[in-house]
This record gives sequence, C-alpha cells and structure tokens, in this order.
Amino acid sequence: MIKEIKHTFYFTQTPEEVWEYLTKPELMEQWLMPSDFKPVVGHHFRFTNPNNSFVVCEVSEVNPFTNLAYIWKNDWAVTKTPYTSKVSWTLNAIDGGTELLLVHSGFELFRDLAAHNGGWILLVNKLVEIFKADKK
Amino acid sequence: MRAQSYDAFQVIADPSRRQILTMLSKDSMTINSLAENFDMSRPAVSKHIKILYTAGFISITDIGRERHCVLKQDGFNEVQDFINYFDKFWDHKLRKLQMILNNKAK
Repeated sequence: MIKEIKHTFYFTQTPEEVWEYLTKPELMEQWLMPSDFKPVVGHHFRFTNPNNSFVVCEVSEVNPFTNLAYIWKNDWAVTKTPYTSKVSWTLNAIDGGTELLLVHSGFELFRDLAAHNGGWILLVNKLVEIFKADKK
Repeated sequence: MRAQSYDAFQVIADPSRRQILTMLSKDSMTINSLAENFDMSRPAVSKHIKILYTAGFISITDIGRERHCVLKQDGFNEVQDFINYFDKFWDHKLRKLQMILNNKAK
C-alpha cells in the first residue's frame, strides 16, 4: 500500500515567486481552491471545493520561501473527524528556477481505522459517493 | 436475487472485522483461534469471516481439519483507490500551477 504521495515539480520562477502561489489565497485559488489561508503557524483555515464541501486545515510549519506544511482533514460537516493527513511543501532554489516538492502523508489508514470508530467510515463513504458522482 | 457484493469501506466499518484484519496482519490464524478472541458466538465470528472472504480481504485454506485465514490484497485495493485519488488530485493541481507560471513568464 502507498501511504505517502510525493510529487516534484520544476519552475523557472524563483522560490520567492513560487512561494506567493502557495501562500496568497488569491493566487492559490487560481490553481488549487479558494481558502482563507494565512501563512501563520496555528492558523485554522478551510479549502472550499466547487461542490461546497470543505477541507479543514491548520498551518503547522512556515519557513518563508523554503518550507510550508498544513494538516489536511476530510470534514464533511460530521462531528470531529478522526481522519487527518499532512500536506508539506519544500522549495529548493536550483539553477534556472525552483524545485518544488509536495508530500501528502499520514495515510496510514489501518492504524486510523483501528483506532477510531464509525465516524471516519461515514466520511469516507460519503467521499467515495462523491467521487463516484464526479465520474458520471 | 442480487449477487452478494460488499463495499470495501462497509466491510471495514465493523469493529470486529477490523479486529480480525489487525490480528491477521500479524500472522495467519485458524477460524477457531480467531473466534477465541471474541466474546460472540462462533457462527457470528464465521459470518464476519465470510464477509471478509467474499469482499476479498482474506483467503481461506483448509489444512487438515483446520481452516486458515490469510490477508489478501484484493479487498484493500479500494482503500488504495482512495489514496490514488489524492495522487491524481495533486498532479492535476500542480500541472495547473506550472501552466499559470509558464504563461506568466512569457
């Protein structure tokens, strides 16, 4: 089982410019989702999907132009969600631009499943339904 | 009549079935030794095992008079799909970011 998602992308812009697109809501919205993000550790924010569902997040690391991380939870407005994951961005200045590494981790489903009760499953079932509906 | 099929997430929604999978993740076990760990009737345990088997989470091999349960990949694939969704999601989003920044550079 894959438990971690990794993507590396390269940009011709400087880390400072790429950082703007990772941290300014009006720029984030252009490629990711609308949100009320602020680059402040401990800040709670939400990404809004077009179907009006939310991803509930909390900023956990901010090192300007080099590193950014937030907790990423699936919250479909059902109680406190036991399911959490972590999205982490690392920027490296390279010749001719920036290397951007994304790691989305914390998908140790079975540990989570074993530790928590039905609430999480409810959420995932909903999520699966939504994915199925999207495919149609 | 409807063919018996289970949603992977429904299968693992049940705490007893999760417990069975957790026990089998350490080692293969016979149905009898699994049943000893539960405070429910043997037929009730068998029913959970049958559901796990039907949904592809475990395979059952007869060795002598005992039935041995072993974890199986198939059932977990749907759970894996859940993670794959995010993999595609980020790839798609990052491509979009790259496109925006490339256009900006022109």
